Amino acid sequence: MSSAAPEPIVDLRGVVRHYAAGDEIVRALDGVDIQIQPGEFVAIIGPSGSGKSTAMNLIGCLDKPTAGTVRVAGYNVAELDDDELSSLRSLAVGFVFQQFNLLPRTSVLENVMAPLGYQGVSRSEARERAVAMLTRLGLGERLDADRTQLSGGQQQRVAIARALVTRAPITLADEPTGNLDSVTGAEVIGLLRERRDEGGTVILITHDQEIAAAADRVIRLRDGHVVTSPSAPKRGAGR
Amino acid sequence: MSLRSLIRLALSRLTASPARAALTILGIVIGVASVVALTSAGRGATSGITNRLSGLGGTTVTIRPTNGAALTLDDAYAIASLSGVSAVSPTVSSNGSAKFGLKSSSPTVIGATPAAETASKIEPWAGAFIPVLPSGAAPRIAVVGSTVATDLGLTAHDLGSAISINGVPYTVIGLLQQKGGFGIDTAIYVPLDTARAYITGGLGVDSIAVTTTPDSTVANVEAEATAELHARHRIGTGKTDDFTVTDLTQILSTVTAVQGTLVMLLAGIAGISLLVGGIGVMNIMLVSVRERTREIGVRRAIGARRRDILIQFLVESMVLTFVGGLIGILFGEVAAAIIARIGGWEFTVDIATIGIATAVSVIVGVVFGVLPARQASRLDPVEALRYE
Repeated sequence: MSSAAPEPIVDLRGVVRHYAAGDEIVRALDGVDIQIQPGEFVAIIGPSGSGKSTAMNLIGCLDKPTAGTVRVAGYNVAELDDDELSSLRSLAVGFVFQQFNLLPRTSVLENVMAPLGYQGVSRSEARERAVAMLTRLGLGERLDADRTQLSGGQQQRVAIARALVTRAPITLADEPTGNLDSVTGAEVIGLLRERRDEGGTVILITHDQEIAAAADRVIRLRDGHVVTSPSAPKRGAGR
Repeated sequence: MSLRSLIRLALSRLTASPARAALTILGIVIGVASVVALTSAGRGATSGITNRLSGLGGTTVTIRPTNGAALTLDDAYAIASLSGVSAVSPTVSSNGSAKFGLKSSSPTVIGATPAAETASKIEPWAGAFIPVLPSGAAPRIAVVGSTVATDLGLTAHDLGSAISINGVPYTVIGLLQQKGGFGIDTAIYVPLDTARAYITGGLGVDSIAVTTTPDSTVANVEAEATAELHARHRIGTGKTDDFTVTDLTQILSTVTAVQGTLVMLLAGIAGISLLVGGIGVMNIMLVSVRERTREIGVRRAIGARRRDILIQFLVESMVLTFVGGLIGILFGEVAAAIIARIGGWEFTVDIATIGIATAVSVIVGVVFGVLPARQASRLDPVEALRYE
């Protein structure tokens, strides 16, 4: 690692995460170092059981490591209590899931307003920002729709709007194209690249080589270890 | 999230599965409805009874013999001469049978003096009450209570006609207004001497109603009458009285005590149904937490703290029981109105009752919503997100 690099926005050092599954101990991550710089578009790739979901949970501040340190946006996750972790998620991370995970029986607009509500943003401002974000993503006409009235691609765009509306620096996408056809999937990847181009940090978790190729840098996980982690290419620095 | 958004969210959950919501809040509806109905009915009944008792004369003291002893007309006259007493109304009574044409009735035949008209607040609507009679006269005349008059088919046209009481003919001289309760409606009044000659026999009287003068008190008169009877009946200190003295406030307190027991009983039933209703709400909220595990995970991921999830589910159970409470209040007031109509008192809506019922239903929501809400707030976000 170059000592001249700025402070990484995501910094995993010697991270171990073990689970107890019955009598056995699952070594989901077993000594992992990952550094991601602000503004990078990184894909974390690996087959199922490689530990990529565990890595996502740690980067997303949903979980704490068994050993080693996880720093997100400068905070040591292990030192934060549950409320502080929630605040860090709210301020630093926007999630995009494979299953879209829109809130049930909640309109498109309310879905996008929800994370702002948890930040304490006033309803009128939240509405304004959510409408602006949805309009930008081409959903300005579907504000009152329920998730059941939307196609998969539309749902994922709502989810992306929800992840971006808080202006969180990190966008964490877990198999975001997994439930979409290739054309819609490409659109979603395009939106994530756009996000990177605006200066956001995008972390894409996938098992799909082809999808991962869209990222500037690929981190491979296998059996809880990083296989290769080439340093950030020049392209990412030219933002 | 703002309270308004939370309430809106909870209401949308409620309308999403109306049948389930309806069944869930049924217990609350029944509990609150019975609370409202019984308190409202209790209030109405109390004011009804109070009105009725004051209609019977609040300053009247009644003396009755006990243990097979007898009070005499002379006792009554002795009491009449006491300083605090304005009038006495000695009566005898007996169950009898009355006939008019082919119709019959089983009235209480009461032998009374003209003083009974004031003492018992008797109001004839046709004819007149028993007049003052010359000493020793025992004419067979009768004044008929409203229920008996209806039984016998007597109308104002029948004044002067003869009815038979225990097989002996009497001339009807008056018909009484309906009073409700306490026996006037089911009575036939005849002169005291007439009753003693033809119906009860003997020289005793069954009760002496004493009316106090305006400047005396019930307690004074009770004490004076008691002392007078002690002297006349030669009852020394420490001996048992052969008579009892009661006033209407005692009757009222007895009625109130009985009613209090009844209210406690009904409150117990209401409490149990609220408890059962609350457990139903808790059950459905626990199911709801299970079903919405993934939603909880998503909310945690997008920044909800444990507290936010806790409040969300608490508000939801409160809205559930609040709506149940509102429906319960509606049903309860309707029931109270029906009871008031049957009981014959005025129906009024009491704001305090509605306030208490609303508060109770919301409190039930909090009490039985805490456990599910805590469970929801303590879910591990990683596990919750993975939940299918």
